[in-house]
Amino acid sequence: MSLLVPLAGLALLALPAIMLLYFLKVRRPQLQVSSLLFWRPHVSDRQANAPWQRLRPSLLLLLQLLAAALLALGLMRPGVIGAAGVSSTTVVILDASPSMEATDVAPSRFQAAVARAKQMAGQLGPGQQMAVVLLGPHPELLAPPTGDPAVLRAALDRAHPAGGRGDFAEGISLANAVLSGRAGGSIVMLSDGHSLPPPTPPRALAPLAYESIGVTGENAAIESVSQTANGTIFLELANYGREARDLKVEMVADGRLADVLPVHLDGNTTVDLTWNHLPVGTRVLEARLTPGDDFALDDAAWLLTAPPPQRRVLLVTSQNAFLQRALQLRPGLELTTEKPADYRPGRYDLYVFDGWLPPGGIPQPALIVDPPAGLGPVPVSGQIDPGEVLPGNPQDRILQDVDLQDVHVQSAGAVRTVPPGWRAVIAAAADPLLLVREGGQPEAVLTFDLHHSDLPLRAAFPILIQNLLQYLMPGGFENQVFPLGQPVNLQVESGTRSVQVVTPDGRTVALPSPSTPFTDTTRPGVYTVRQRLASGTRVSRFVVQLQDPSISRIAPGAAPLVQAASRPAGPAPRGTLEIWPWLVAAGLGALLLEWLVYLGAPARRLHPWGRWRRRLEART
Amino acid sequence: MLTAGELALLGRLDLVYRRPQSGLYSGERRSPRSARSPEFSDFRPYVHGDDFRQVDWRAYARLERLVLRLYVAEEEACLNLLLDASASMGLGQPAKWGAARRLVAALAFLGLAAMDRVQVGTLAGARLPPLRGRDGVSRVWTFLERLEPEGGARPEDLRRQRWTRPGLTVVVSDFLVEGTSTGGVEAAEAAAGTWAVPLADLASRRQEAVLWQVLAPDEERPAASGDVRLVDVESGATRELTITPGLVDEYRRALAAHREGLARAARAAAGRFLHSTSADDLETMMLAGLRVGLVKRS
Repeated sequence: MSLLVPLAGLALLALPAIMLLYFLKVRRPQLQVSSLLFWRPHVSDRQANAPWQRLRPSLLLLLQLLAAALLALGLMRPGVIGAAGVSSTTVVILDASPSMEATDVAPSRFQAAVARAKQMAGQLGPGQQMAVVLLGPHPELLAPPTGDPAVLRAALDRAHPAGGRGDFAEGISLANAVLSGRAGGSIVMLSDGHSLPPPTPPRALAPLAYESIGVTGENAAIESVSQTANGTIFLELANYGREARDLKVEMVADGRLADVLPVHLDGNTTVDLTWNHLPVGTRVLEARLTPGDDFALDDAAWLLTAPPPQRRVLLVTSQNAFLQRALQLRPGLELTTEKPADYRPGRYDLYVFDGWLPPGGIPQPALIVDPPAGLGPVPVSGQIDPGEVLPGNPQDRILQDVDLQDVHVQSAGAVRTVPPGWRAVIAAAADPLLLVREGGQPEAVLTFDLHHSDLPLRAAFPILIQNLLQYLMPGGFENQVFPLGQPVNLQVESGTRSVQVVTPDGRTVALPSPSTPFTDTTRPGVYTVRQRLASGTRVSRFVVQLQDPSISRIAPGAAPLVQAASRPAGPAPRGTLEIWPWLVAAGLGALLLEWLVYLGAPARRLHPWGRWRRRLEART
Repeated sequence: MLTAGELALLGRLDLVYRRPQSGLYSGERRSPRSARSPEFSDFRPYVHGDDFRQVDWRAYARLERLVLRLYVAEEEACLNLLLDASASMGLGQPAKWGAARRLVAALAFLGLAAMDRVQVGTLAGARLPPLRGRDGVSRVWTFLERLEPEGGARPEDLRRQRWTRPGLTVVVSDFLVEGTSTGGVEAAEAAAGTWAVPLADLASRRQEAVLWQVLAPDEERPAASGDVRLVDVESGATRELTITPGLVDEYRRALAAHREGLARAARAAAGRFLHSTSADDLETMMLAGLRVGLVKRS
């Protein structure tokens, strides 16, 4: 026997307090009556009429003391320690995949699963515990093992569908971690069978009971909306159900209904539609199916038709056609080329200095090519003959898709020491050729003249320049479409003070830091990003959309397969069987009995002596 | 003591006597016996010994048979009104004393208006000389106004009364006397039973007994609760109780048993029992009298 909350033993002080009340004199108000004839001396509560009178036995007192003792003991949560076979832990895996938002089960599959989990929490017996795992792309332990239904309900109230398919293998792994060291456990999965299936069935430490949620597979979806170069809108629709459906597609341009397209969808087919009536100047086009169905997440699709914001780049060079052409390949880039003599500082998103550096400070962010000796953030001195170049780190994202084979550099500036905070991306033997600064304002230095290398002649050159632009001038999320639930790296511009994202349902989410990925992409629609810069506020948009046909096929799936894993050998885990529910029930029962005795008449009926006396009276 | 409206109400009512009346003087009360009076009652055949003066000669001329004319006898009835003036009658909200006095005053008015022989007194022994006629109303009211509730009252007090003539005896009281040291249903039944012998004695003296119980509303449904010390206003006995809904229910069962016991004792003495509350107006009380046949519409 152990006490889980020994401090609650203070509640036992109620016992002497109750006895003290019996010792204390009761001051009764006096009431004149015509007769005492109808007032029977009631069940004696034995309140003393003089202080410290000898305590006389009283049924009420005994019942009150019994109730107080039982309730106090219950508060101390006594438990019997024994083999944990008497206790069991159930891990409920709650599938939070997007398909669980289908409403074929009211109010939704996910809410039905939550209600079922709450019901299971309410049915926990003494010694039984339950844990809840929310099965999203990254499963999380929503509630650790507990026998307290209130804690479980509170945790389940916090549950919400995740944006992506639940990772079943990770969920089972998490359940195993919860069950390790416990005996008599079980795993219950509440799902519609659309979690991400692992290549091989995972091993589960306890039997898996699968409860299927959902009844129908009827669902139509807008797979995609795109715009061709000539401005034609292209829609792809799919019917994942068996029944043919006649639907309408509403084309909404900037919030105003522009057109309605009728469409017939046979069962399990896809249909392509084109539309050429996009109003001029439309920024956001929404296509939505009507009437809706039981799965609303894929009933609409969005297209951002406004061009992304222009990025201004200043190239200061005497003459470098290679560089100029490579920079111009980036869409949405406004390139200004100046001679060094004409250089005037201005507001640019990126400065590219080729063979020249401005006196008195270099504006940032900057790409410096062939810096003059002794100048710039990475001073170069002398010349080296690097010959064949090598990637500093092949996994570097600046070198993504950049093939440096057969790239040669005839001469380059020698960098004796790499300044702190810089790293070499391309090197020749021990001499760095391309360095970038990590953290703070991004900068990059190419230590050689492009004309003294065959790099500009290779396919790797424009790719390297684009990667450098992406590094130096982050962005690129504008007007892009991201899958539901996927974190979006906003890659805000340097100098951004704060970033706010307005979700499709109107919530404004402030990112804790500009570099933090935005993860709240659980609702499909248009997300608006507001970047506060020194120069003002830049507004851009991106779209989050369900792009996974396997989720749109909402028909409940089969139970996922698991492998039974043998438990680790060793002594059986021991658990504590809590007996407080019985104590509390007994205490409340004693209180009820005390109340009945107090009420009088029912008490006489309950009391055996009262029944004998009534029978005796009936016979005489 | 009574308002003009209440007197007007009483003017439309009359007392009902079950027993044959035998007053010393003829009165306005119809007697079950036939006698000479201006009011015709019936015919009956002549039998030997009848008074020839009562033979209807006109009927003989028509029928050639001797028949007698019978007339309604109007006799004086005796009404004895006994008021319980014990201290317990001074309790209640509103106090029972006022209601009981007004009830006695109303019954006395009915009797005096009908030229009955009315005697008003208390269970403790105070009494007015017998009165007759409306002139006695003011004396009765003055007598009642001078009374104050004090002391106690017991069933044996009935036996100390002097009953010179047969009549109707109305006892107005709360009938709350201590039966045993314990309370409750059994004690209430026992206490009601103590009235049986005095009532039987009353019947043996050719008195038709009417027990009229007047209780206060808070005595019918006690409002007190919690820890109290109850003090009997007459005996000074105390009882400490914790009044709970269950105890109040038992109180009401005891009260019902007490009333049943009083009604049983009254029936055994060929009498009647009725009850009203101190909150009732005179019209309600008279309706209770109508219900048991103590009064009727004149």
